[in-house]
Amino acid sequence: MTTFTRRTALSLMGAAAATPLIGLPAYAKTKVRVGALRFTSHSASFVAFERGYFAEEGLDVEFKFFQAAQPMAVAIASRDADYAVTAISGGLISLADKGAAKVIGGALSEEAGTDGQKFLVSDAAYQAGATALSKLDGKSYAVTQAGSSFHYMGSKMAAKEGISLKFKPLQKVGAIIGALKSGQVDAWSIVPHIAKPLARSGKVHIIGNVADYLPDYQVTTVFTSAANAANERVKTEAFLRAFSRGAADFNAALVDKTAGDEAAEQMVKLIHKYVYASKPYEKARNSIINGAMRINEGAAMNAASIQDQIDWFKTEKLVKDHITMETLVDPSYVKAS
Amino acid sequence: MSEPRPVKFRGGGFAPTSIKWIGPVVFIVLIGLLELGTQTGIIAPLTLPKPSDVLATFGELWRSGQLWLHLVPSLTRLLMGAALGVTTGIAIGIAIGLFSHIRAGLVPLVAAIFPIPKIALLPLFVIWFGIDEGSKYALIALGTFTPTVVATYGAVDNVDRSLIRMGQSFGLSWRSIVWKIVLPGAMPGILSGLRISLAIGIILLVAAEMLGAEHGIGAYILQAGSLYDLERLFAGVVILSLLGVTVSAVIGHLERRILRWRS
Amino acid sequence: MDLLVKQVSHRYGDLDVLQNVTLDIPKGKIVCLVGPSGCGKSTLLRLIGGLEQPSSGQIVQIGDPPDACLNPLTYVFQDFALLPWRSVEGNISLVLEDHDIPGHEAQRIIADVLERTKLTDFRAALPKQLSGGMKQRVAIARALAVNPAVLLLDEPLSALDSQTRELLMDDLLALWSRQAFTAVYVTHNLHEAVRLGHVIAVLSRRPGEIKQLVELDIPLGERSPDDPALQLHQQHLWDLMREEAIAADKELVDV
Repeated sequence: MTTFTRRTALSLMGAAAATPLIGLPAYAKTKVRVGALRFTSHSASFVAFERGYFAEEGLDVEFKFFQAAQPMAVAIASRDADYAVTAISGGLISLADKGAAKVIGGALSEEAGTDGQKFLVSDAAYQAGATALSKLDGKSYAVTQAGSSFHYMGSKMAAKEGISLKFKPLQKVGAIIGALKSGQVDAWSIVPHIAKPLARSGKVHIIGNVADYLPDYQVTTVFTSAANAANERVKTEAFLRAFSRGAADFNAALVDKTAGDEAAEQMVKLIHKYVYASKPYEKARNSIINGAMRINEGAAMNAASIQDQIDWFKTEKLVKDHITMETLVDPSYVKAS
Repeated sequence: MSEPRPVKFRGGGFAPTSIKWIGPVVFIVLIGLLELGTQTGIIAPLTLPKPSDVLATFGELWRSGQLWLHLVPSLTRLLMGAALGVTTGIAIGIAIGLFSHIRAGLVPLVAAIFPIPKIALLPLFVIWFGIDEGSKYALIALGTFTPTVVATYGAVDNVDRSLIRMGQSFGLSWRSIVWKIVLPGAMPGILSGLRISLAIGIILLVAAEMLGAEHGIGAYILQAGSLYDLERLFAGVVILSLLGVTVSAVIGHLERRILRWRS
Repeated sequence: MDLLVKQVSHRYGDLDVLQNVTLDIPKGKIVCLVGPSGCGKSTLLRLIGGLEQPSSGQIVQIGDPPDACLNPLTYVFQDFALLPWRSVEGNISLVLEDHDIPGHEAQRIIADVLERTKLTDFRAALPKQLSGGMKQRVAIARALAVNPAVLLLDEPLSALDSQTRELLMDDLLALWSRQAFTAVYVTHNLHEAVRLGHVIAVLSRRPGEIKQLVELDIPLGERSPDDPALQLHQQHLWDLMREEAIAADKELVDV
C-alpha cells in the first residue's frame, strides 16, 4: 500500500465533507480516491485519468496503489479508498455481507476469441505425464488463499474434468511462481502476460485456457463501499461513466484492435506510466499487449457468472449460506447480461 | 514529652500475593462488554464479531470434527518441530557451556541467527525441505532452537561451580559430572527457556502454515482472515491462546515435578 | 598413608599467596590450619587435595591408601556442596556410582555412614528440608562413604551457628574416637582448632608461611570445651595471630 497517513486521511475526509455532493455542478471538483494495482487489468482507470475523463465528470481522482487485492478491499471497507477493481473472492463477499462493500460493475472478463487466463503445469509434472488438464488427478494446485479466484478456477476446472486436486495456499503470486518453477506444486492458472513468459522459460507449460472451462467468467468487478453505492449515486455514476470511457478506449486499442496501430502504441505508452514503469519500454510493451483482456463495455456485469461464483463459494463453505446476489451486488448502476 | 503512642506501621506493600479470582473476572467482564457492544450495534460487525458467535463457531468446529482435522496436524508440526529444535538446542547449549572452543565459535553464530525473522526464511526452507511437512518442521525447529541454546548455555554457566568442584574432588568421571551435576543443575534455566521457545513455536505455527498447508490452526486462521470471517478468525485465535495456556500449564507441571528440590 | 607438603609456594599472577610451606600430615592425626583471613589456608587445602597445582614445591604421598579406599583425598566443604535435587541417600550414592560397587554393597556402605552420622531417619529427605548442621552431617557421611585416606575439611563448621557447631564438633570427635582418621582441618576459629587438632599450624598473613607449629598432647577424647589448659593454648594462638589479623583486616581487597 502506498503511504497513507491518518493525517492525509483526515484532511481528505474534511475536504470531502466540505464539498456539497448532491446536485453537483459540473465545475466543482469532487475528491475521489481510487484503489489500484499496477496491473494491465486496471488500465480503464488509468486511461480515464490520463485522458481527462474523470476531470470532465467533475471528479478529482487520486490513485492509491496497493500490492495485493486483499488490502485494497479492506481499504474500501475502512473508507480509505472510494472505488477499486478486484476479483470476486470470499473476502469480498464476506465484506459485502458485513455491509462494508458492494459490487457495482464489471471489469475484466473472459470471452471466447480473446486471449485469456491460462492453466499451467510445472515442467516436472509435465515430464511425468501431466500433459493435459484431465491428467492432473491427485496433483497439487497452487492458490494464493482459500477462496481466491485461483481456487475458483481450479475447482471449476477439476469439476468439469472429473478430477480431484490438492489446493496449496501459498499467499503470494511470487511464492507460487517460485514453487511452480521448482516443481513444489504441479499446476496453477494466471493471466496471459504472466503465463506466457513463464512458458517461454521452459520450466512451466501452458496446457489449457480458463475460458474453455469458464466462458464469460467475470474475473474482476468494480466495487465500492456500501455507503457510496447507496448514498453517493451522483458521484458513483460519474465514476462509472468515466471508467467506461476508459474501458472503451482500452478495448478498441488493445483488445479489438479497431483503433489502429498508432492508437495501440499510444495506449501502451499511457499504461506504461503505471504498469511495469521500472522496466524499459520495449520489454514492458510486450507484457502490456499480452496482458490485454476485455474490460466490460459500459462496466456491464455478467450476472450469471457472478451467481455461479457465489454458489461455488457457498458449496465450498467459504461464505455464509444466507448470502445472495443482492448481498454482493448493487445492480442499479450498470447493465447486467 | 508527648503522650506514649503506638509506633506507626510502615512495612506494607511490595509483597505480591496471588489473588486467583481477579484474572477470570477480568476476562468475563471484558467478554461481557464486547457481547453487549456488538449486540446493541455500538461495535460494528466489521470491527469485532459477537463473542457468542465466536463460541457458536467453536462449537460447530467441535461438533463437525473440523477441530481435530485442524488441531492434529498443527500439534504434530509443533511437537515435531519443537522436539527437533529443543533437543538440538539443549545439546548445543550444553556444548557451548562446557567447551571454550565451541563457545567461541558458536555464540556469535547463534547471536547472528537469533534476530532473523524466521518467517523471512520460509521460501528458502520450501526449496530446501520441500513444501510439505519438512519446511514446517524446519521453521519451527529453527525458531525454538536459538532461544533454547541461549537459555541452556546461560543455565549451564549458572550451575553452582562448587558442585562441579565437589564432583571433581570425589573423582567423578566427566560423563557423570555432566549428567548428574551440570544437566540437573541447568534444568531450571532450561525449563524457563522452554516456556519462551514453545511460545515462539506456537507463533511460528501460523507462519509455517502460510505455505502449502491445507489443514492446521494457522491455515484456518489465515483462511478466515482472507475471507474476512471474523468469527472463525477469532475462534482460531482463541484455540492458539488455549494452546499457549496449555503448553504453559504443562511446563508448570513439569517444573513442579522435576524441580521439586527447589526451595 | 601419610602426606608431606614440601616447600610449597603458590601465586596467582603476581600475587604471592603461599611461601615455602612445609608440613607433615601423619596418619591418624588431625592437623589444623589456622591463620588470618586471606592467608592462603584454603588455597593450601586445595593444593593438598590436587584441585590446584602449586607454583613450586610438591605434595608427596607416603605409603598406600587402604584397600577399600575409593577416593584417598576427600573434601568436606564449608557450603556443604550437596546436590539439591538428590535425597540424602542419593547424595551419598553419587560418589559410589562411578566405582562399580554392587547394589547391595553400596546399600551397606550408605546404611553404615548414615548410622555413623546419625542420619538413618533422614535417608529420603531432600537437602532443602535439612538444617545447616544436618546438611554438613550429610556431607561428612558422603566423605566417609568413600573411605578416604585423608579428610580435607575446609572450614566445615563456619556456616553454622555456635550451638550447632558445638554439637558437630562432638560428633567429629566421636567419629574419630570410633575409628581414627587422618585429616587436615582448615578453620579461622581457634576454639575448633584446640578442640580437634593434634597439631595446629599457624599461618602468617599473605603470603602465608608457617609461623609456628603447636602440638597438643591432650588426647582428643579428654578435651572438654571449658578445659583451662585448652583455653591457655587458645590464648597463646590468639597472641600469635593478633597482630597479623589486625594487619590483614586493613588490607585492601583486590583479588
